[in-house]
Amino acid sequence: MKSPLARLDGIERRFGSVQALDGAGLEIRAGEVHGVLGANGAGKSTLLNVLGGMLQPDSGSIEIGGAPVRLASPRDAWAHGIALVHQHFTLVPRLAALENLALGGGRRPGLRSEVERLTERTGLGVPLDAPVEELGVGDRQRIEILKALLRRPRVLVLDEPTAVLTPDEIEGLFDLLRELASEGVGVVLVAHKLDEVLGVADRVTVLREGRTVLTAPAAEVEPDRLVRAMVGEERADAIALGISDGDAYDAVLPRPAAPRSPRETRTEPRDEVVARLRGVGHAGRLHDVDLELRRGEIVGVAGVEGNGQRELALVLSGRVEPEVGSAELPAGIGYVPQDRSTEGLVAPFDLAENVALALHRAPDFGRGPWLDWNALRERAEAIRGRFEIAAPSTRSRAGELSGGNQQRLVVGREITVARDLLVAENPSRGLDVAAAAFVHDELRRLAAEGVAVALVSTDLDEVLGLSDRVTVLARGRLHEVGPDERSREGVGARMLGGRRG
Amino acid sequence: MRGCSGGAVADRGDGVADSRGGGSDSRDGGSKPEGGVAGGLRVRRFESVLIALGALVLTAAAGAILLALGGHHPGEAAAAMVRGAFGSRATFLSITLVRSIPLILAGLAVALAFRAGVWNIGAEGQLYAGAAAAAWIGLTGAALPALVLVPAVLLGSLAAGAIWAIVPAFMRVRLGVGEVITTILMNFVGIHLAAWLVHGPLQESRGVFPQTDPIAEAARLPRLVPGSRLHLGFALALVVAAGLAVVLRRSRFGFRLRAVGESPEAALIAGRIDAGRVLVVCFLLSGAIAGLAGGVEISGLTFALYEDLSPGWGYTAIAVALLAGLDPLGVVVAGILFGALQAGAGAMQRDAGVPAAWVGVVEALVILAVLALDRLRRVRRRGGV
Amino acid sequence: MAGGGERSRPTAFGGGVPGVPGNRGPNIRGAVNHRQPEVYSLGDGLAARVRYAVARRAVTDNPPGKAPPMLRTPRPLLLLATGLFLACGAPTDDEGSIRVALLTSGPVSDAGWYAGAYEGLQRIEQELGATVSHQQTATPAEFDEAFLAYASAGYDLVFAHGNEYQDAAIRAGEQFPELTIVVSGGGRIAENVAPLIFRLEEGSYLAGMAAAAMTRSGIIGMVGGVAIPPARGTFRAFEAGARSVRPDVEVLEVFTGDWNDVAAAKEAAVAQLSRGADVLIHNLDAASFAVFQAVREARAEGRTVWALGMNSNQNDVAPDVILGSAVIRIADAFVETARMWQNGEVGGAAIYASTRQEVIDFVFNPAALDEVPPELVERVAEARVLIREGSLDVPRVPFIEGEAGVQ
Repeated sequence: MKSPLARLDGIERRFGSVQALDGAGLEIRAGEVHGVLGANGAGKSTLLNVLGGMLQPDSGSIEIGGAPVRLASPRDAWAHGIALVHQHFTLVPRLAALENLALGGGRRPGLRSEVERLTERTGLGVPLDAPVEELGVGDRQRIEILKALLRRPRVLVLDEPTAVLTPDEIEGLFDLLRELASEGVGVVLVAHKLDEVLGVADRVTVLREGRTVLTAPAAEVEPDRLVRAMVGEERADAIALGISDGDAYDAVLPRPAAPRSPRETRTEPRDEVVARLRGVGHAGRLHDVDLELRRGEIVGVAGVEGNGQRELALVLSGRVEPEVGSAELPAGIGYVPQDRSTEGLVAPFDLAENVALALHRAPDFGRGPWLDWNALRERAEAIRGRFEIAAPSTRSRAGELSGGNQQRLVVGREITVARDLLVAENPSRGLDVAAAAFVHDELRRLAAEGVAVALVSTDLDEVLGLSDRVTVLARGRLHEVGPDERSREGVGARMLGGRRG
Repeated sequence: MRGCSGGAVADRGDGVADSRGGGSDSRDGGSKPEGGVAGGLRVRRFESVLIALGALVLTAAAGAILLALGGHHPGEAAAAMVRGAFGSRATFLSITLVRSIPLILAGLAVALAFRAGVWNIGAEGQLYAGAAAAAWIGLTGAALPALVLVPAVLLGSLAAGAIWAIVPAFMRVRLGVGEVITTILMNFVGIHLAAWLVHGPLQESRGVFPQTDPIAEAARLPRLVPGSRLHLGFALALVVAAGLAVVLRRSRFGFRLRAVGESPEAALIAGRIDAGRVLVVCFLLSGAIAGLAGGVEISGLTFALYEDLSPGWGYTAIAVALLAGLDPLGVVVAGILFGALQAGAGAMQRDAGVPAAWVGVVEALVILAVLALDRLRRVRRRGGV
Repeated sequence: MAGGGERSRPTAFGGGVPGVPGNRGPNIRGAVNHRQPEVYSLGDGLAARVRYAVARRAVTDNPPGKAPPMLRTPRPLLLLATGLFLACGAPTDDEGSIRVALLTSGPVSDAGWYAGAYEGLQRIEQELGATVSHQQTATPAEFDEAFLAYASAGYDLVFAHGNEYQDAAIRAGEQFPELTIVVSGGGRIAENVAPLIFRLEEGSYLAGMAAAAMTRSGIIGMVGGVAIPPARGTFRAFEAGARSVRPDVEVLEVFTGDWNDVAAAKEAAVAQLSRGADVLIHNLDAASFAVFQAVREARAEGRTVWALGMNSNQNDVAPDVILGSAVIRIADAFVETARMWQNGEVGGAAIYASTRQEVIDFVFNPAALDEVPPELVERVAEARVLIREGSLDVPRVPFIEGEAGVQ
């Protein structure tokens, strides 16, 4: 048995009235990949921040190599060989990738060749001299990982690293993690997707409501048991019995590679075209895009981050006028932007105010120059109830919600305004399995009601699983994917074909 | 877009201004609790009040130390200060409240701008522009009856203040030039314009001193309380404050303004709000209110334009707005507090022999204390990063 | 308490007799001119800058040799004259303690205009046993407040030290009839509001004589702050004084627009020096130091150049470069005005202070006297006598209500 590198025990941490951690524990052994699972708000990020020295626990013990330590700052954690790769980026946008790596504490002669060797070995290739602000989310994620690796950590902690990577890159990353583990590093991996974690982890720990509820070797736990541990017995039963969130249970489990055929369960897409792009080019990132969206269909747009998704979504949602070409768009457009915390929500606004962002023009919610806050609050209350947003009231601030609940709020709001078209950019990113399934269900329901849905996602499974039609955006050009190519491999090839020449 | 937004965000409600730098990419504060909603909703309601009180306590303590170091008796000075500000009905009405009028109006102008993420440092210049317009109308319209002339004077000062904000608004929205610099530069233009007017075209008919002739009787605001110096301008300031509070809370425009101020990205993406339009309107409105501060001072109090009309109200107004957490009704309270502070400072000089420079020190201390406490609160809310 | 006779010290106001060596109270700096003690009175260093002061010289009404009406006062020792008896300004305080306040728009640490006033206030406290108070105010609104505060606190006499107070003083005078207000350099008069006018032109005229006598290049310069009539008046008098000695002298004149802008004053002084001026006078507040510095730097380059002080005895401020100073002894004027008020003689008319009372003077810098030709000293002394007698006309720029040219 390998000896524990680090051990957290009985960690408690409170934020205001919220007990984020309530007796959480985690044991990391040398040479293992340790998966950490949990629903949104279970306390995963908080626990990892405690391990990384970013947060101090209210109580509980931390041991490194068997000796109790106090991690008062990230610097302390580094000193003990703990490197944390954040869910949120910590890069300086104006500096080049290499400069950011140097800032990360790796400043030394020969840094460039060291980085190059590392990228060679790990397959984490990034343009070293480009300013970070010009790079996509995927590249930024790779830089974060490189930054951590340059410290030669004994414990490497990755908080949801896979969300922005392509399937091939994810596979490459997992190979790397296994290799690091075999060299004696303890690797901690947080991910929402069960199959990913189970595919790479030696052991898993499940958190629920701030407590560690399960730790076991990955090979010995059934997915079913993990889901029950994550969502709680009651909820799991409910899912299993189909009482709520019809497809949620399905979605938690590894999906079959072949896409389901949505047409069997839904009405035919109606023929009416609600949105049409013709020869659209924008900001040098979109080129000659033609796209027609019909009522009732879900059109998936797959692609690696930074291939024009954002520009396409902005044009399609009517947020910007295309520089080239024309866009015919309907009136009732909902848009779930990729960056929910800065673009989808105003953090200091409460729930009702955030709902008002999309509804403040609607005649139903005001008279003359005045807004009808009672009506808005009612609507917000309805969204809070229906989308199970964990907030005490509609007066809670959006910024105080966890990432998953923020996403529920954005999706809930945009669905209410999407009478004709919903543009959703990575709508399930950062959501736990149940929440992701719920969002997917809502998209299907919306389509069934005759709304056109454009699903712009870097999650191939999501695109394949939901879409009636699949397209791939590569280097700013949109390619239709025929039924025969419709597989992870086929679409993945298209995606990569577009990436960096 | 993302990179340039951070600097222009003002916190809402409980918030004092946010001085986050634009480049630090600390969008999410790093470590939110995962456990849903951070609580303390009740506490938050009073947070701004607590911060204001904390600022006052800190200031008082620092002031006492400074006084003691300067060889003055802090208790005596404090007593003189309180007496000078609240000692009698006459001093409270005629000094404290009268002083608070331009502070409240200019503070409202600043608060409104800051709420929209417009760093209007130009209230001083806008105030002078409004004062110059009021003096000019009050002098040239002498033949008109008061019912016409008083509104004309006030509207003129509103318009002049708004005009003073046009250049910075245009440069910000169309050319992307930061308004901090342009509004400061417009301050110089406004101050020197007033100086030029009282040395040149509007100089008193005797042509001796740098001031205008007194404006027409019909251009003067009536006294609010007979026998005191308190004039109608105070009521105007309260009306403007109440109006802004309602607009910000209840109106579509106020909502858009707050959204743009809190997050230009979210306002555009989620709200489809044309930030440029909101900013221009907000700029003009802010300038107009600051201009009104100058106009009211002329037609309510001094009845003539002077070179040194303002002791820096436009700048003190920034402290007033920050102390008030950018809340219009809070600005009224903060404005009266600063009015009391200044009135009390005068009494400290008269009765306790404390030098005038101390006033400036105290004001600076208040601003520092507010900023420090705001930072403290922000850090605490983020969860200790 | 009536008149100077009861005073325990010899006064410089004494009867307008030239040659009485002034021993001026507690703050003697000893800037004694050893050669001409009978002419050059002691500079006590207390007098301060006067930006608004002006000498009124109604030559047509006052033939040479005859004192102007304002100075024809009933008591010989009454040094500052007033035209009207003011009933309501009479002392009302039976306990014998009068309350006197001072308002300034600037810090009393300026070693000049405001410092002189503050010194006067302190002497009123010491010599008259008055209760005194001072407030620094900045804006017209504050002026009103201060008058209100002092009136409601039972003050009897307020010195408002600057013309900027005049409108507020008139307003306050109407509202508080019990209060008497003396406005230094003011232009408006009421029953209980009296301007106190310093005829600094007289000192400035003498300074101009000295400048013209000392210049080698024939070019002299003047650096002013704000071009208000009293300031322009001092420069007109300076020019006239210079031409009386050397009719062809070239006089440069600049107003920087700011009494305290050091950089602007330095720039102006350097510009004049580089145009060949070798004697500079100023009419500035804190910025006067910049003029001295510019002259000092020109000296370091080997030129023979001089500066002249103004408003207060600045001979000590820069003894290495100052030829002499046109001074106002504000403190003396204040004390005397307070005495007059006690006699019910303040209000309804302007109070004039001039060389006659030795409030205004020109004082050579003792440190520079070795380089000053004795003839010059003599000539200046003679002119001073003529001015005091009223037989030498010093130009001025009128600005007081009722004066010729002023509505």
